[in-house]
Amino acid sequence: MIRRPNQNRSIIVLVAPAFIFVLVFFVLPLIFLLSQSVLPGDGGFTLTGYADFFESRVSRIVYLRTLKIGLIVTGISVLMSYPAAFLLARMPARRRSFLMLLVILPLMTNAVARTFAWLIILGKRGMINQTLMSLGLVETPVRFMYTETAIVLGLTQLFLPLMVLPLVSAMENIPDDVLEAARSLGANRLTTFVRIVVPLSSDGLVLGATLVFTGSVTAFVTPAILGGSRLLMMSTLLRQKSVAIFDQQAAAVIAVVMILTTLAVNLLLRVGRVRQV
Amino acid sequence: MVSRWMYISLVILYSFLIGPFIIIFMASFGANANLAFPPQGFTLDWFANVFERSQFIDGFWVSLRLGLLATIASLIMGIPVAYALTRFQFAAAGLVETVFSAPILVPGLVIGFAMLKFYVRLGDLNVLTVLFIGHTAILFPYSVRVISASLRNLDPNVEDAAISLGASRLRGFLLVVLPNMQAGIAAAFVLGFITSFNNVPVSLFLSGPGVTTLPVAMFSYLEYHFDPTIGALSTLLVIFTIALVQTAERLLGLSQFV
Repeated sequence: MIRRPNQNRSIIVLVAPAFIFVLVFFVLPLIFLLSQSVLPGDGGFTLTGYADFFESRVSRIVYLRTLKIGLIVTGISVLMSYPAAFLLARMPARRRSFLMLLVILPLMTNAVARTFAWLIILGKRGMINQTLMSLGLVETPVRFMYTETAIVLGLTQLFLPLMVLPLVSAMENIPDDVLEAARSLGANRLTTFVRIVVPLSSDGLVLGATLVFTGSVTAFVTPAILGGSRLLMMSTLLRQKSVAIFDQQAAAVIAVVMILTTLAVNLLLRVGRVRQV
Repeated sequence: MVSRWMYISLVILYSFLIGPFIIIFMASFGANANLAFPPQGFTLDWFANVFERSQFIDGFWVSLRLGLLATIASLIMGIPVAYALTRFQFAAAGLVETVFSAPILVPGLVIGFAMLKFYVRLGDLNVLTVLFIGHTAILFPYSVRVISASLRNLDPNVEDAAISLGASRLRGFLLVVLPNMQAGIAAAFVLGFITSFNNVPVSLFLSGPGVTTLPVAMFSYLEYHFDPTIGALSTLLVIFTIALVQTAERLLGLSQFV
């Protein structure tokens, strides 16, 4: 790298346009939002918006439900991806790159399209209900729509690739020798998996879990379509407060709580990862 | 080490990932209007309905224009940032990296909401302009990261040679670096375009009277209609996306970056 006396000037010239853009068009609106959550119209700083949020039974239920759904989706994604990711990482390159493409393709389709499928699967006359009724297991359609199960299924389908991708790339780096050594020293498959594969792929696991969890607790389209106004999550509550009830301060508080939640999860998992290393 | 239940879990994973698309595909040709499954009969009416509705056609053009403009803007401003991050060592590099990865940490719906509140306060702004600003901001993390990765793969000695032979840094960049990062730029471009083209949460609050992006139009349609039109449109979009990625792959070989 060439160091020159006018290096600082070059850096400023290179970074300034984008930096100013992000500052003015992204950071400033967020600061304004933060101020709206603590400064109601009549002036003066107050935290009543936040007190109202945490004292209201409805918003407490919605917040806890959002966190719970996030945890369940993350858990299911880990269980579904872990063994499969291991297999993918050990596959011959050609087959693997085809299968990885199938993991990436869903990511490139919009969430409305991907959630739509669940209307057909879970609807009143949907796939599952038709199957249950033709087998004679139920007489009237079971309501799957507007339930937590529906949201969990939709979100898992949506964010599964974000777990698979980092897991596969972490597992690719585990040398075969290490696994063979563990096996030849007497470890069975399960022990090898739990004591060798899991620790050596923990970086991918942490990254995947962060992406899936933060994605799930902030997603909008899927809870809006599969949960509707009957089963609210934080994002759909925000929209309801802003568009239907027109309580802008409450909406701003929800927005800030959502930001703080994602930041906290990111920081927590980052700290955890540093400590492991 | 590989066991049978790993294969079982692989099958479950892929049926979960791909199954919904097969269901959408089947439903979009079905004659019944109530989303019953399995679909009865065969019709192309839902595809016809997609093209008859102006909100989808207009939405497509809005999304296409928006995706192209926002991606280009995020690259024009993002490439210099990536260059500074990979070619200079400076104290504020950490701060710069944090600022440019921030848009990925803030929920999209919150970004859209914050921007709406802010611009309403500022006065009347063109809907498309606000959408463009919002989308450009959320694309920075992708363009800076992908371009930085591609610049790290390029030996800095090559441009240093050009510079020590008398080229200015700008000339060195334009004549030596830029031609060597075509594939990286293309990868960032495709990634950015797809991200913008599919975005709902940021666009939702910012879409205004008469100007709606395609995914937001699809979402609004679903709030009032319960028929396979969205399935037909989704089928078309999947084909569009595969064609886009295939073309980019053929022309530029993207897979080395993704």
